[in-house]
Amino acid sequence: MAEETKSNWQDIFNLKKVCSRYRVDIWQCPQVLFLVMGFIIIGAILVTYELTKTYQEPEIAALIVLAVSAILFVIGQIIVTSFERIAESSLAKSEFVSIMSHQLRSPMSSIKWQLNMLISEDLKSNSATEKLFGFLEGIYDQNEKMIRCVSDLLEVNRIEDKDIALKPEFFSISALTEKVIDEYKKDAAMANVNISSFFQPDVPLSYADQDRIKKVIEHLLDNAIRYSLSGGEVNISIEKRSNNIIWKITDQGAGIPKEDKKRVFEKFFRSQNAARYKSSGSGIGLFIAKSIIKLSGGAINFASDENKGSTFWFSLPIKKIQ
Amino acid sequence: MKKILFIEDEESLQKTMRDSLERSGYSMVSAMDGENGILLAKNENPDLILLDLILPKKDGFEVLKALKSDSRTDGIPVIVLTNLEGSGDIEKVLSLGARTYLVKSNYSLDDVLSKIKNIFESKEMR
Repeated sequence: MAEETKSNWQDIFNLKKVCSRYRVDIWQCPQVLFLVMGFIIIGAILVTYELTKTYQEPEIAALIVLAVSAILFVIGQIIVTSFERIAESSLAKSEFVSIMSHQLRSPMSSIKWQLNMLISEDLKSNSATEKLFGFLEGIYDQNEKMIRCVSDLLEVNRIEDKDIALKPEFFSISALTEKVIDEYKKDAAMANVNISSFFQPDVPLSYADQDRIKKVIEHLLDNAIRYSLSGGEVNISIEKRSNNIIWKITDQGAGIPKEDKKRVFEKFFRSQNAARYKSSGSGIGLFIAKSIIKLSGGAINFASDENKGSTFWFSLPIKKIQ
Repeated sequence: MKKILFIEDEESLQKTMRDSLERSGYSMVSAMDGENGILLAKNENPDLILLDLILPKKDGFEVLKALKSDSRTDGIPVIVLTNLEGSGDIEKVLSLGARTYLVKSNYSLDDVLSKIKNIFESKEMR
């Protein structure tokens, strides 16, 4: 490991290695572009020298210098954009560290305070037993949150390494959705959000990785509740359209600003909308959802109006039972 | 008896804070979201407010702004109790008039209690 991270001076000349570290193409890599620029300048000087020697016309020299400057200007622009791209990815990383540490810190501080109470509480008396179990339950829930958080992170890693093994099976997506809605009843009640659903009765069975589709539904429902206003309505519908099953969720929440729409499915992206400080999201749910749906042969998309709400839907292809 | 308002959407934190405050001789009122927090600050007249930043309906920054722009609540000391730790967040909160900024995971309940005690003591000395 140490050898890998230590950079040798010879590496300066190994451009491929340098550029792969930045995760940009070789023709977008600043090191390569600077080198190209250097060669163009040297070449241009030589050519200009030769041409002016034979023709002795200043116009030719001026034209060449003009052409070279134009080329250098274009290359310069490419260098700037590639630096921007590198800077952006480093920005995304620091954003990630701050989001993830916050996500883990919240349950950890809750556990800490509950342990504070457990350590200080006089647990010998009978009346304390109920309290004790209350705290233990609380600690259990928080620990579950941390497990979910770390599992999501690992899933992101697997997606990026293209290391996902799906376990497809036939299942009823309506029954699965019903189950997820049931699990989120408490959250919905806390947020004063009403969940309604319409499942077309003759929808055929889905063929996909049931556990992972459950994750997708959980992430979409969690978002819809999280960004809903008090008294808001969340509606889920399932229907068959030609050879696909269409699953759709609509909320009346914060919505997504126009400028953020392109980045909604990017990992660790959180919109700068009005709700940014109103709930704590990790910014990986939709990235995971999109990856799973794509791997399952379906499609996922959304429509949204800021301050009016969003609709997210995904499709799964129908497979005939043999 | 001093009354403390805790604006926090995580139930387990409210429960532990309530127990610990009551054991130290304070009383606690609590709000699960920002809107309700502002309402309780006006109606309950608390001696101190503990405020989370990530809150439903109105976030902590909006709550702080509302508290400081109302003559009924602008004198109440506010301790921001959060897990956010960006320098921008800290500066913003302090410039909005919070007394201090504590990162939850770095403070035990006893630490928070002693901060509260400090604020009350410094108030009495004046």
